[in-house]
Amino acid sequence: MRPAASILLLTTLTGFAYGLLAWLGLYAAAGAAGADRTLILIGVGLVIVLATAGLATSALHLGRRERAWRAFSQWRSSWLSREGVAALFTYPVTLAFVACVYRAPHAPLTRLLGAAATLAGLGTVYCTAMIYGSLKPIRQWHNRHTAPDYLIFALFSGGTLFALLHTVVIGTGAWPAALVALAAAVALLAKLAYWRHIDQQQPLATLASAIGMAHDTVVRPLDAPHFTENFVLREMGFQIARRHGMKLRRIALGLGFLLPLLLSLLGAAGGVPLVSSALAVACAALGLLTERWLFFAQATHVSALYYGRSV
Amino acid sequence: MTMLPERAPGARKMGLVIDLDTCVGCHACAVNCKEWNTGGEAGILPDYDKYGANPDGVWFNRIHSYETDSPQRSRTVNFPRSCLHCENPLCVTVCPTGASFKRAEDGIVLINTDICIGCKLCSWACPYGAREFDEDNGVMRKCTLCIDRIYNEALPEAEREPACVATCPAKARHFGDLADPASPVAKLVEERGGVDLLAELGYRPTNKYLPPRQAQIPSGPEETPAQPAPGVGGALLRLLDKALSR
Repeated sequence: MRPAASILLLTTLTGFAYGLLAWLGLYAAAGAAGADRTLILIGVGLVIVLATAGLATSALHLGRRERAWRAFSQWRSSWLSREGVAALFTYPVTLAFVACVYRAPHAPLTRLLGAAATLAGLGTVYCTAMIYGSLKPIRQWHNRHTAPDYLIFALFSGGTLFALLHTVVIGTGAWPAALVALAAAVALLAKLAYWRHIDQQQPLATLASAIGMAHDTVVRPLDAPHFTENFVLREMGFQIARRHGMKLRRIALGLGFLLPLLLSLLGAAGGVPLVSSALAVACAALGLLTERWLFFAQATHVSALYYGRSV
Repeated sequence: MTMLPERAPGARKMGLVIDLDTCVGCHACAVNCKEWNTGGEAGILPDYDKYGANPDGVWFNRIHSYETDSPQRSRTVNFPRSCLHCENPLCVTVCPTGASFKRAEDGIVLINTDICIGCKLCSWACPYGAREFDEDNGVMRKCTLCIDRIYNEALPEAEREPACVATCPAKARHFGDLADPASPVAKLVEERGGVDLLAELGYRPTNKYLPPRQAQIPSGPEETPAQPAPGVGGALLRLLDKALSR
């Protein structure tokens, strides 16, 4: 599948944003809003900027941007529509949450809204994941890994931001860094398990069944319908840089998960907390963009069978 | 509305039956489809870099040719590929705007290009690669089963069939109501063992493909045993034949 820059940015940015919102919401739900109001106020500002930037980027993917509002209508059947509705719903919840944090940081309502904001943000991430997870022709997406992985990566990347904010605003960041290290380890294992899974998967179908021939028939393409690439091949038969896949996996793993894990451990141990938490955010961002690129570039679509591609 | 419609009892299922035995791979169906649909009610079907090195464009029908080897027979199979108007079309349910829809009355899957936002998700949801993106208008396009021909009362009745069917010189394409077991297309499917493409994915396509017939190449003509001429010459030849057959 073609990794469109707009979608890579959308999913990575909203992952950071809603992941951070989840951390802030849980932080408040745990009753800490009274002590660290500034942290939550700045954090929520960052959430809104990042999420809005991500959603705006996704509009660049559309052929008709001026009609984007129509995408909110089909939530009964479409995960893309649900993502839009959930993202929209998250705004008032987040604003109510931050207003309560500002006006009444100790109120039980603040705790409740913190939990609600967490659920709204993670719910949006879940809808994003299910856009991919629900697509039957793509075996690398339509499996039990996609939805949990998106949630894990959101919590991990948002956590790096939370640890950085905590260090900047409060001055210390040992316990958030320790939690981020844990999240990074879980994310790393989840990604390894995903790659293992897709590398061992059987193809969804054969060319013989794609053209309605008996299963014992060997089918080879003889003449293609057209000599140049068409939309289907560009979008669904993406092959560019596939041969760098293994190298890019190592980069994604090292940059996206292993370095943030080590940096967070360093921060948790009390060594240069500001530098290590800032670097962890940068590494996680670059690594997750690489990981997201691979998520698309290494996904194959059944329709490419017709052109003799292996899926 | 992208929820799938309740199919009324007795509703038609209009679709195509494509005979892979007789398709000659001439691309006439694809060309006539392009011709009709670029000028019909659906508007222009765009082409890009028409006279350049990488010509490209939107087509509703693509013709592949394959070599097939099976224990029974090896042969070339020409394979036209277009929208199958599935009964379980994921392309419809994933649409966030309601632009993609399936008609309750005849099962035809269509795109309302006036409200399509061009997110391309429907093309990802289709395992048959039947949807192509119109870069000029920023919307998705697909086979309409020539909805502007099949119900068009301005056309003579005999011409109220999809452009691809009308033009096929090998009569390899058939159009009709697949829900009616008495219809010629349903009978064809019954007689020839018509199949669903990628049945294992569960999209339940309406269009059916008739697999190539099993080989019926007669073995060489039976040899009539030569009758040696009567008389002395014949007796000599019989003797020679016996000697040589030893």
